Amino acid sequence: MRKYLHYSIVLLPLLLSPAIAFSAEAINQTAIIRVDGLSCPFCAYGLEKNLKQVPGVESVTIDMSAGKATVALKSGAKVDDALLTEAVKKAGFTARGITRQ
Amino acid sequence: MLRLKLSSWSAVWASFLCSFAGMAIAGPITFNSALPLSEGVGILRYQIKVIHQSGDTSALNRDITVIAVPLVLAYGISPRLALFGVLPYVNKRMDITMGAKRIQRSTQGLGDGRFFARYTVYQRDLRGDTLRIAPFLGLKIPTGTHDKSDAFGLLPRPLQPGSGSWDPFAGLAITRQTLDWEFDTAASYQMNTKASGFEFGDEARLDASFQYRVLPRSLANIGVPAFIYTVVESNLSWNGRNSRAGAKDANSGGITWQLTPGLQYVTRRYVLETAVQIPVIQHLNGTALKTDWRWTAGFRWNF
Repeated sequence: MRKYLHYSIVLLPLLLSPAIAFSAEAINQTAIIRVDGLSCPFCAYGLEKNLKQVPGVESVTIDMSAGKATVALKSGAKVDDALLTEAVKKAGFTARGITRQ
Repeated sequence: MLRLKLSSWSAVWASFLCSFAGMAIAGPITFNSALPLSEGVGILRYQIKVIHQSGDTSALNRDITVIAVPLVLAYGISPRLALFGVLPYVNKRMDITMGAKRIQRSTQGLGDGRFFARYTVYQRDLRGDTLRIAPFLGLKIPTGTHDKSDAFGLLPRPLQPGSGSWDPFAGLAITRQTLDWEFDTAASYQMNTKASGFEFGDEARLDASFQYRVLPRSLANIGVPAFIYTVVESNLSWNGRNSRAGAKDANSGGITWQLTPGLQYVTRRYVLETAVQIPVIQHLNGTALKTDWRWTAGFRWNF
């Protein structure tokens, strides 16, 4: 019995590791950009359009009051922060920081 | 006599043309803003403007109505540089007493186009807050005809759809926008040139606009909602005297100050707006007609 318990302790993390890795990748598929200078709905469209043109971006959700753009990335896509920052700049705003989830 | 009297109307005509330079992006209704126009984003704006003038104390008892539908196309070349083109369709009508009869003279057609570029030279961004300073430089080109006639002969120049002249203009727009309110101010000068022996007086403008968000009351956790702004604008303009064959027209030009209450409905993709310009001060030279009101309604679409 103790032997099986030892096997379980050793094997369980190995069995769970793909799930943990998958979960981490899924979490990293969202980038939250703090956007400064965005203060009217009509201007938000330009930000949304420029962010959607970045290869690998699935969708964009903007929260004006928080000054944040939440960018959902396509599965497996790797999008550099620099590309997202450049898209915000093209839209006429200032990206202050990007966090990944 | 008729021609002389009509030329006094040109102050209104010139400022009317200048107001076509109104920016296509969200912001003021009657003049330019410094708000961003994103790279690769275009904006189409339709407006309808109606101007009414009356109160002629002379025997001519002139009464003038102008309806214009300017089409504005704007495009962001870069985050700082935007290009604008404005092409109006105009309908002008004058009712006048000639002898014992009331007659009507009118014209319609394509007016003069305006093309200008705006460059943002200063930008300070904070969360939900921006300050921008952007000079603009442009040219009014004579796309409208200026030699139309009716049964009474050649129409007076101010009644023509176009001016016939190539007129440069320049200005500076400053905008401070927050989530709750926006303040814009713009100063501009248009140097009018001569065409077929006639020259409209130059125009200088100083405009200001304050917009306050009345709905929604709170922006918490609602993404990008539609805004309803109440708007108050101030339009101060000075027009120089017109010249005909080198002689200044004493019945043209002057100073006008108007207050403009308005309303805007602003969404992500479009803006609906309306405003009425009410003259507060009109120090016009000679026998110039005074403006009763100007009404503007418009639609802007992001693409």
